[in-house]
Amino acid sequence: MRLLKFKRFDFFYDSYLLISIIFLSLIGLIILYSASQESSAIIIKQSIFVFFGIILMIIVSQPDPAFYKNLSGLFLIFSVFLMLLTIFFGSEVNGAKRWLDFGFFTLQPSELIKIALPIFLASYLYDKPLPINLKDTFFSILIISISFFLIVFQPDLGTSIVVLLAGFYVLFLAGLSWRFIGSSFAIFLLSTPFLWNNLLQPFQRQRIATLFNPEADPYGTAWNITQSKIAIGSGGISGKGYGAGSQSHLDFLPETTSDFIFAVIAEEFGFLGALALLSLYTFILFRCFYLSLNARDRFCRLTIGGLSLIFVTTIFVNLGMVVGILPVVGMPLPFISSGGTSLLSFYIAFGIIISMASHKKLIRQ
Amino acid sequence: MIDLQERFIERRSFIYRLFLIYFLFGTFLLLILYQIFQLQISNYSEYEIAALENKTHEMNIQPIRGLIYDRNGEVLVKNVPTFNLISIPNKVNDPNSFIDDIRNFIDITLEEEAIFYEKFKSKARYNRELVIKRNLNEQQIASFEVRKHNYPSLFVEKRYSRYTDYPSILSHALGYIGAPSDAELSQILSEALHPRQETIFSYGNGFISGKTGIEKTFDNELRGKFGEKVYEVDARGKLLKEISIKSPEEGKSIFTSLDLGSHIAANKALNGRMGAVVAIEIETGQIVTLFSSPSFSINDLSNGISRDKFNILINSPQKPFFNRALKGRYPPASTIKPAIGIFGLENKLIDWNFSIEDPGFFTLPEDGRIYRGWKKGGHGKVNLNKAIAVSSNTYFFSLAYRSDINKLGDHFSQLGFGSKVCIDCFDEDPGLIPTPEWKRNKLNSGWSLGDTVNLGVGQGYMVATPIQLAYYSGMIANKGFINKLSLIQNQEDSFSELIDLDNFKELDWNKLHRAMTDVIDSPAGTSRRLQDLKSFKVAAKSGTAELVSLDSKEDYLLIRENEEQRDHAIMIAFGPMPSPKYAVSVVIENGESGGAVAGPVAIEVLKELIE
Repeated sequence: MRLLKFKRFDFFYDSYLLISIIFLSLIGLIILYSASQESSAIIIKQSIFVFFGIILMIIVSQPDPAFYKNLSGLFLIFSVFLMLLTIFFGSEVNGAKRWLDFGFFTLQPSELIKIALPIFLASYLYDKPLPINLKDTFFSILIISISFFLIVFQPDLGTSIVVLLAGFYVLFLAGLSWRFIGSSFAIFLLSTPFLWNNLLQPFQRQRIATLFNPEADPYGTAWNITQSKIAIGSGGISGKGYGAGSQSHLDFLPETTSDFIFAVIAEEFGFLGALALLSLYTFILFRCFYLSLNARDRFCRLTIGGLSLIFVTTIFVNLGMVVGILPVVGMPLPFISSGGTSLLSFYIAFGIIISMASHKKLIRQ
Repeated sequence: MIDLQERFIERRSFIYRLFLIYFLFGTFLLLILYQIFQLQISNYSEYEIAALENKTHEMNIQPIRGLIYDRNGEVLVKNVPTFNLISIPNKVNDPNSFIDDIRNFIDITLEEEAIFYEKFKSKARYNRELVIKRNLNEQQIASFEVRKHNYPSLFVEKRYSRYTDYPSILSHALGYIGAPSDAELSQILSEALHPRQETIFSYGNGFISGKTGIEKTFDNELRGKFGEKVYEVDARGKLLKEISIKSPEEGKSIFTSLDLGSHIAANKALNGRMGAVVAIEIETGQIVTLFSSPSFSINDLSNGISRDKFNILINSPQKPFFNRALKGRYPPASTIKPAIGIFGLENKLIDWNFSIEDPGFFTLPEDGRIYRGWKKGGHGKVNLNKAIAVSSNTYFFSLAYRSDINKLGDHFSQLGFGSKVCIDCFDEDPGLIPTPEWKRNKLNSGWSLGDTVNLGVGQGYMVATPIQLAYYSGMIANKGFINKLSLIQNQEDSFSELIDLDNFKELDWNKLHRAMTDVIDSPAGTSRRLQDLKSFKVAAKSGTAELVSLDSKEDYLLIRENEEQRDHAIMIAFGPMPSPKYAVSVVIENGESGGAVAGPVAIEVLKELIE
């Protein structure tokens, strides 16, 4: 929490987060260069995203939290509107409609909902007494459900689960009653077979089945996870060296620049490299944890908590998938994987976190 | 707005719940770390091997087959290079203009073009080589060589083919090569480093294995050991670069005991007639001549023969593929007489002075049946020496008549009849020694005395192969013992066969050699006309195998109108006397007179070997 005094305006930032995120972004670029098999096109594109992303993060961290509190409803409505546009006008890739094509840039509105939803819920719940009453609980769940279902039918299971969790985190942190949690968990367990059969697409069911029995079909659906494990395992303690990963460079590993980039890191930098990356992520998370504990008010606390938990969830879903303990769902590794909207969404998220953390409460009354 | 007290509770609840979530994530982080630890440290070697197997692709390299030499160091079978025009489709952008380009200097047939287009895509995808044209001639190679700098995706490569300068003369001894059967192929590949992998061929024909003859018997030695080339590959199996190479081990050369010159002589003497010539070196038991006629070109068979040409060969009534030297089954006829003589002396049925009166026929006392000799009126008073020299049937009919058939059978078998005599010949026939038991089982009738009498002149049920006759000839020449026959020099597995005799001594052997020398050298000898053909002494015994049992010469004049029913001419011989070095057997199918027809062939071959 720093406040630099300039003549004309105040500059709000958090040096720990700023430095570690910029550092992480640079590491990401270096790894991406190897993962993309030294493709300058991908690196230039990613560098542009990183550059504007950092600027965007700094800009987003300047307004007072009250600005986000007041406009959170509009943000959410705007994001949902874009989602609806996607449903009607989105470009279809591999059977999924997730993107709005603006020519120079393709936008994935689900990534925006991921941020807009927790902020909206924080602004809705910040003044509600504990525990959250049924009416507010159901309203929150309604909002979460709308967001979730808009995404799950794209279909995009990974993002929809993150959005679902994002909503739940805020609701839980805001003081959702334990009785409600207990009873809904029981209902969820009972309805699992129904969800399995009706909500999941066949290929999604296949991916989950693969997780539990990867040897059944090593050249089919389990190919990705088998190759990912080989890449990670063959990295050993210190790795094969930068640019020397055979699994990634000879095309055995799929999606090296996006979902499976962690396997590239583990292959080329080994256990030590993987540990270093996880340490950096852990550092950022602890910083967020500290900031949320010391936030100026409940809205800021809930927002920082919600957004940082989305960050950690994304990381863990990605890592869990890449190391083979979670099913294969499309989920990037934040600040490392290539990608447009999802990368920008994390810069925005951290911009908002910094805003929440660095604006001290003005003395009122 | 909530009040201060509530705000405090709210903050505590928030911290408590956030702790709870972080605790869950902390647990999950440990789980992920544990999994990474398992992958990278506990099971590192397993995944390291998996990654290595992923990125490497091994290919076997076919070894070059060993050469085959004759006993004098002449190369009999060699590998001759042929040149193929080969492309690297991965480096070719437009296959159509590529072929048109090549057409400017090398003619590409429509068939070759079609094969190229058909295989182009997959070969390009996996970065494999693709043969465009086989067997380039010198002019084609030259016109490519001057342009090759313009074609980085083209090269000329050597591929061998199996070749002999003597394709017909040695065909039955050497044998031919061909594509192995599935069982053979898996056996061939089982000794390769990576049995299931692709193979880089050194031969135009791909996998080859010996099908007959020496090529077959010594296939393992000739083949050599597979080498290995390791490539780096990507996930699609495309070859990226060569990582390592282990050269193949060339097959061992086989130094045979065969003598090229004697085969040429035998071929010339036989002159296309159906028959066989086998000659052996007496001291070692090495086969020097293994010739069967008519023959075929092993070059054609090994390197591709047209279907029409093959059909002519396979349907020929002369059966050129049939190896008469090893598989021809002939009655030994009169050539068996020395063996009967040895049997008579050993069993004291006769001595050298014992003589009979030969009226030209033998009457079986039991039923009065007449067994005729070849000469009307007979040979007068004959002892054993004369009986062999003039080939008196009556003498041997009567001697056989007094012999125990079971003991006689054992005697024949000690002389090599009825079983294989060569340890490394391909597909040898064991011949047959008839016994009462055999006749009962096979023909379902009892043994008659007449059968034994017939056996005295090598007629009836007994059959022998030319190689058995050569072995038998060598056994007599070497006075009762000889090595099992073999086709290679320095045969280590060879062992000596000894005939078990108590009453037949060195002196008797000398007398027998004298009698057999008289076959040619005595004025009354059956083969006296051979005397002038040579400058050294030869011991011999001729035979004329009757294919049809007849009562008189007049009857034979009738049946000889049909060439297929004419007698086979047979000769066994060894020389130079008195210390023989080579023994030979000759069979000429339907050649009629052993002495006059087979004799000169035997002499020619012995002359070639001795002089």
